Amino acid sequence: MSAVGGLTLTHIQAFLFFAAVISVAFGYLGRRQPKDRLKYILWSFFLFLAVGVAIGWAMYPFSR
Amino acid sequence: MTEELTDRANEGTSQAQEAPQAPEVLNEYRAWLIGIAGWLVPGLGHALQRMWGRAGVVFLAVGLLVITGARMKGNVFTSKGNDAFDTLGYVADLGTGSFYLAARALEGNGADVSHAGGDYGTRFLATAGVLNLLAALHAFEAARGRKA
Repeated sequence: MSAVGGLTLTHIQAFLFFAAVISVAFGYLGRRQPKDRLKYILWSFFLFLAVGVAIGWAMYPFSR
Repeated sequence: MTEELTDRANEGTSQAQEAPQAPEVLNEYRAWLIGIAGWLVPGLGHALQRMWGRAGVVFLAVGLLVITGARMKGNVFTSKGNDAFDTLGYVADLGTGSFYLAARALEGNGADVSHAGGDYGTRFLATAGVLNLLAALHAFEAARGRKA
């Protein structure tokens, strides 16, 4: 979870950071109008979170 | 006689379609230059086409991912990889263009993937490269007038 002497992020922080950055980039590249971009960014961010949490729970039975 | 004229006219039309016009060729060169510029400096491909919002977002997104990934002690792959995965990682990291050198400089004491943070850093760096390649391709396509 932590890197010695470097930047330390928790799992959830890294997850949220990744989802936010990629969602914004996808929104700007994929849509032209500001309203469409905002909708795309929010929807993409939500899907990143939903799929990430779903995969986490899907792996839970095999974690021990 | 009419048929002959029609054939000649059709022939002329097909030749005109086959032979690319000079402005089209120039546009094609320009598109390639924009694509390469976008790869070398994240966002430059869009900036050259005055797509300032996209240029800024690509620059910031790729930059943030590279800085965060390197500071988390992610693995910045080199050409001296041990296996195919290292080579793939190298190709992905190279996708960041000039930012690859920044990542190498920021990495400093080398990678530390013994912690999950270092592993995440490796993924951030690879994602930055792939995202920049996607953005460069988008700029290339926009320069060709296919997408904007």
